[in-house]
Amino acid sequence: MMLLYGVVPADATAPERRGLAGQRLEMIRGMLAALIVEECSERLNATGDEARTFAEIICDLATTTSILPIRFPTMLPTRSAVAAELQANEAAWRRRLTELDGLSEVIIRAQWAEADSELGSASNSSGTTYLMNRAASIHRWDASVAEITEVVRAWAREVKVLRRQKGVRLACLVANADVTQLRDAVTTWQQAGSDRKTAVSGPWPVFSFVDDQEALSA
Amino acid sequence: MTDAMERWSNEDVALVDLIDRVIGGGVVLTGDVVLGVAGVDLVYLGLRLVLAPAHEVEQSVVLGRRSA
Repeated sequence: MMLLYGVVPADATAPERRGLAGQRLEMIRGMLAALIVEECSERLNATGDEARTFAEIICDLATTTSILPIRFPTMLPTRSAVAAELQANEAAWRRRLTELDGLSEVIIRAQWAEADSELGSASNSSGTTYLMNRAASIHRWDASVAEITEVVRAWAREVKVLRRQKGVRLACLVANADVTQLRDAVTTWQQAGSDRKTAVSGPWPVFSFVDDQEALSA
Repeated sequence: MTDAMERWSNEDVALVDLIDRVIGGGVVLTGDVVLGVAGVDLVYLGLRLVLAPAHEVEQSVVLGRRSA
């Protein structure tokens, strides 16, 4: 079994480290791109700890080369199956690697005190009131996405809306050199309103931008 | 700020974001794929496959209804 980690340029240097299963990471190279893989004799349980270790390996690999991470956990049965996937996709992967060279992903969370109070009151209200609160919440959410997108417009090449629990969560594709400025802009925006709280994580490898579909123009 | 908002810490947020992106982002292969799932033997799937966390599939369904 082959556990797949990521796509890198065909001429990337082979990684000098072991993977999740304790085996040395290998590169299966094509003409345009290469896949970093690990041969696994045992099945993965896909636990949270394994996901965390996988993430740390991807982050480590990203310090030395451009990489399109493969979604965890993806395994293929043989090396020839890996080579076939590579051959089928390497042109598109190489094109995206070139587009993403020097870029990272930064994730912004924003939440408002009103979001909690709306949810709290909705649970004790009539159906009509609940629907009105929900509609107001959705309008507020749409406006917030637009507002934060405007805040990061100067630095984010692409913005993608991620699953939300409360508030807003956006993934931003940012040049490595601009990460600090984007963080500062978000901090300034937070300080402009006492009811809002933000958190910024990253820079991460470009997990949310491996293809250019569904990205909003920033 | 509410308690829930105060509980955010930079380390917690970073870890949650990172793991969420590892299982919810990244390149998705659409060929024949073998998956490992907790407590279940590896299964070979000869179908077009999009692997995603359950919460994202649920969101896609909801968004589909809204746009219909």
